Amino acid sequence: MAVITLQTFFIALFGIAALWFGVVVFRTSSMMRSALALLFSQTALGAMFLAMQAEFLGVLQIMMMATEMSIMAIFMVMFMMDPGGLGEMDMTHQKRLSIAAGVIGALAVSGVALFAHWGPTATVAPAAAEQIRGLGTELLGRSMIIFETAGVTILTAMIAATAVAMPVLQRKKTS
Amino acid sequence: MRIAVVLGFLFAGAYLVAVLEARLATGRLRLAAPGWAAMALLGRESVVPRQPDRLFFETAPALLLIAALLAAAVLPLAPGLFITNLATGALFVNAALAYVLVALLMAGWGPDGAYALIGGWRFLGQLIAYSMLIVMPITAVAMRAESLLTTDIVASQTGLWNILYQPLGFVLFFIAAMGVAFLPPFDLPSAEGELAGGVTSEYTGVRLAVFRLGRLVLVITLSAATVVFYLGGWLGPVLPPWAWSAVKILAVSATMLLIGHYLPRIREAHLLAWCWKLGIPLALLNIFIVGVMVLVWP
Amino acid sequence: MSPDLLTALIVGAGLFGIGLYGALSQTNLVMIMMGVELILAGALVNLVAFWRFLHPESYAGQMFVLIVMTVMAVEMAVGFGVAIARFRARGSVEMEEARELKG
Repeated sequence: MAVITLQTFFIALFGIAALWFGVVVFRTSSMMRSALALLFSQTALGAMFLAMQAEFLGVLQIMMMATEMSIMAIFMVMFMMDPGGLGEMDMTHQKRLSIAAGVIGALAVSGVALFAHWGPTATVAPAAAEQIRGLGTELLGRSMIIFETAGVTILTAMIAATAVAMPVLQRKKTS
Repeated sequence: MRIAVVLGFLFAGAYLVAVLEARLATGRLRLAAPGWAAMALLGRESVVPRQPDRLFFETAPALLLIAALLAAAVLPLAPGLFITNLATGALFVNAALAYVLVALLMAGWGPDGAYALIGGWRFLGQLIAYSMLIVMPITAVAMRAESLLTTDIVASQTGLWNILYQPLGFVLFFIAAMGVAFLPPFDLPSAEGELAGGVTSEYTGVRLAVFRLGRLVLVITLSAATVVFYLGGWLGPVLPPWAWSAVKILAVSATMLLIGHYLPRIREAHLLAWCWKLGIPLALLNIFIVGVMVLVWP
Repeated sequence: MSPDLLTALIVGAGLFGIGLYGALSQTNLVMIMMGVELILAGALVNLVAFWRFLHPESYAGQMFVLIVMTVMAVEMAVGFGVAIARFRARGSVEMEEARELKG
């Protein structure tokens, strides 16, 4: 029994928006547009999470991606040879292979999604406040060690990235 | 109805902030000045610079206004007087404020002007300085309230306002809020003296009017956030709740503007250094102290 | 099976495909990272959909989403660190020029 509800409509709407902006990322040659298209793709995903009643995750996604993708924007403008996209440079290679890989990958995954037996689907989700409480107890209970590991990983990554990015100091030769 | 009241409140507050700003700039108190200025802006020609990124150029002012309004949507002005009461309210304020950055980046990139571009990227650096100082104090506030609901946060301050319970967090949040609203001394993206208006330098006419309105609403929103998180929201004796909110919000905005009036503009490098070397350790200390206090003396 | 779950999974598959295309076709390191971000975003959609429509009572699903978001942040930090180091050493982050990595 397939029921098309308002929820389905909104999930599909934001999903299509996310896909559309995802395509725009690689179709525009202006780096700023590309980065902000990725941002809006991720924001649409956040809205989709909200439509799926995962309120905390949706708001978190919307918040984190705004900062993350804006920082991405400055790196793209710094490191691309043609950030404004006015020089009509082609920045791609092995195009046919990539398109084939992308299409086949997407089709294969959708095929799995279509034909797998997912079992019964739940109709009601817990209320938003209850979700936050549940997630908190999960993080500080059973999954604490995993979450701690994630925290330590991100700290290590921060230190490693800074260490890699720092310029090599020119030591003064002592006579 | 509720939504109309809150919006009316925000725009009235924005008008008063504009009056105050004009008073600080010119030294004369004229109540009609912002009204005349707005009419002048609306009547003026809207110049579009050469080779703009039209999409960003048009969206940026509207996005700034929308981000400020969205952040205000979860802040209660009185019991029952809010646009929406999300279960993730305190986090949602952060999420909406993050789009202020996106709006300014768009405004910087869009018009294809050197000053605007520098202003936009400067604000990105400023975000790296202030964002942690917004998030971490709010974390401490939510820890005391044991909830992310903004109404619960106000209710948790019935006995003692958060400004006295966690003064360190208040100072950090207040400074960071001034950074978000790019008020002086943190007006790096729109520095009048050195960048000729920065992100706003290429905007004229209606677009500039929307941009200014968005910025004023942003100031009011951040004052309201400070009031809700630290100054006990609508709580107070004698006066009705909405009046307390109004008085506190206007007082906080006035304080922000006055502080900025007497300080020189900070340098980007200094801002980053202070925020990261001093601000973030203090914010962590604040979380620690509040954690201990919540356990010992809730 | 519910159309909601199917829609969400197909969106996830689409994002995966677009991300894969981007990661393979772009020559610039930063653009490749955007492709990887899209692939991870596809994973996020799937995780949220599985949590909501299959196991809403178990919060381990939501925690998984947090971990993937952490991975995205880590990927950004390390990727940009490498990009800066590469740019300092060679003056560009074009992957066509990184032939010396070939074994």
